[in-house]
Amino acid sequence: MDIRGVQIDDTFAEAFGMRGARIIITAKNEKWARESANKLTGFATSVIACKCEAAVERELTPNETPDGRPGISVLLFTMDSDSLPKRVIERIGQTVLTCVTTACFDGLRDSPDRIAIGKPLRTFGDGYQGSKMIDGIRYWRLPVMEGEFLIEETFGRAKGVGGGNFLILAENADAAFDAAEAAVDAIAGMPGVILPFPGGIVRSGSKVGAKKYKTMVASTNETFAPTLRAITKTELPEGVNSVLEIVLDGLDFRSIAKAMQVGIDAACRAGVHSITAGNYGGKLGPFHFYLRKIMSGDIEDAPKPDAPK
Amino acid sequence: MSDRITLTLRAPLARPMSAGAIAPDRFAGLSSQEIAALELWDGRNRIALGDIFTVSGERATSVVLEGDLAQLHEVGTTMSAGSLEIKGSIGNALGARMSGGTITVQGSAGNDVGSAMAGGSIAIDGGAGDRVGGALPGASKGMTGGDIVVRGSAGQEAGARMRRGTLYCGSVGDSAGIGMIAGNLIVAGAIGSSVGNGNKRGSIVAFNGVHVPPTYAYACTYRPPHIPLMLLSLRARFGVVVDDAHLHGLYKRYSGDLAEIGKGEILEWQMA
Repeated sequence: MDIRGVQIDDTFAEAFGMRGARIIITAKNEKWARESANKLTGFATSVIACKCEAAVERELTPNETPDGRPGISVLLFTMDSDSLPKRVIERIGQTVLTCVTTACFDGLRDSPDRIAIGKPLRTFGDGYQGSKMIDGIRYWRLPVMEGEFLIEETFGRAKGVGGGNFLILAENADAAFDAAEAAVDAIAGMPGVILPFPGGIVRSGSKVGAKKYKTMVASTNETFAPTLRAITKTELPEGVNSVLEIVLDGLDFRSIAKAMQVGIDAACRAGVHSITAGNYGGKLGPFHFYLRKIMSGDIEDAPKPDAPK
Repeated sequence: MSDRITLTLRAPLARPMSAGAIAPDRFAGLSSQEIAALELWDGRNRIALGDIFTVSGERATSVVLEGDLAQLHEVGTTMSAGSLEIKGSIGNALGARMSGGTITVQGSAGNDVGSAMAGGSIAIDGGAGDRVGGALPGASKGMTGGDIVVRGSAGQEAGARMRRGTLYCGSVGDSAGIGMIAGNLIVAGAIGSSVGNGNKRGSIVAFNGVHVPPTYAYACTYRPPHIPLMLLSLRARFGVVVDDAHLHGLYKRYSGDLAEIGKGEILEWQMA
């Protein structure tokens, strides 16, 4: 299969189960909602070292937010159920509570699996906090120097999918960069999916563990490093001099598959040799995104695995 | 089974009657004959519902009442589900102790609307009498949940001793929010004297000025973040006309009642 002269490899991206939350941040204007969201999602590229993966999902208009103000939707994922509330609480506590004019709402209200977020954060109010029940939802009002910070008592927890990916193999670094940027731009704003790495692009794809340093959890994927082509068992086709990766986390298989479809299509442009994906032969996770099926429009092939407890 | 049940008053009522049997959830499994046989109270005497209403439809939880019902009391008491649409005015104790479902009134209602209600909603196009959302006689708590919208004027002691829920009124008489434990009382227009006396944790929101009792203390002028949530909910669910200036405007916050625990508030909107 090729798209506009770019080969789509006959392989699959292998992803795993995660737990996710959708955090809605509103503020006086879009600038300050984004300021808070950027802080909340900082240092949240990979669970390997960040304990969670998070990024902005999309901007929200005042008509889409609970309090009628501009907002930002953020998705945050962890590897297990228990650590999700910890990560959400510590990040909201440090980056939304502290940010001027913001309020914070649950973006997964239909989820029956609830985690206490505003409830523990209310204790910042030191007994001066108050609650409000509106439409059956409890909110906490925390007195702060600016006025009041408002946050929903509980947030929904959903089973998610982490580690969707595709790799762009290009003739040179500029072509890889342009193609990756085009893919990110195409995916931006799609619901239910985030690209947790800086700007949505990964240049340092990794393998599990390391050959030389036994304490390393992950190390460079030498088979895709062009500078090591001559001294390793390379997977780079001839003429490929740069590789960039797009990593995707999402609330469900279909959201990621649709985003991969859109992103791969955008990345198929001049200077790109082929598109491939990272997998571990099916040993890492139960979610398999077959590139050729996705690009043929078949994005319904979602497995029904159970995410890790 | 019908889409809805319509009860049409045969003739104007000459005297007050109690109609606690009229509640949509109770009609769900009843034929029209069984509905007509339900008992109402005419003073000390039992009468059949069918004696004063014609009944159209059966086995439905959507009920329409037609006629001048201002002397018909206790309609919708303890209802837990379904919808009750009243085309006209209605008497006292509408929706008292209800826990779910919706009641709409195209006219006005009497005293004790939604008294001790725990859930559901009541929307009244006209006015209402005293003690809207208040407590049953001798009880410590008024409404403990649900929403009441009175587009016109409410009488005295609106929201008295309310524990939870939201009460919106076009205007209210004296002693509104007296003894509030918590919950929200929003008043678009005039507010009588002695508002919020004995308020513990309740929020009283005034768009059109308020005489703040001496047992409240001014705290600050700010934008309360929960105000837009309440107003947008009222706009979406009940079609309440909400001025955008009220959504994100500035409010004076008065803490009180300081003769109580002082965690309540009166929020007075400030014109820009």
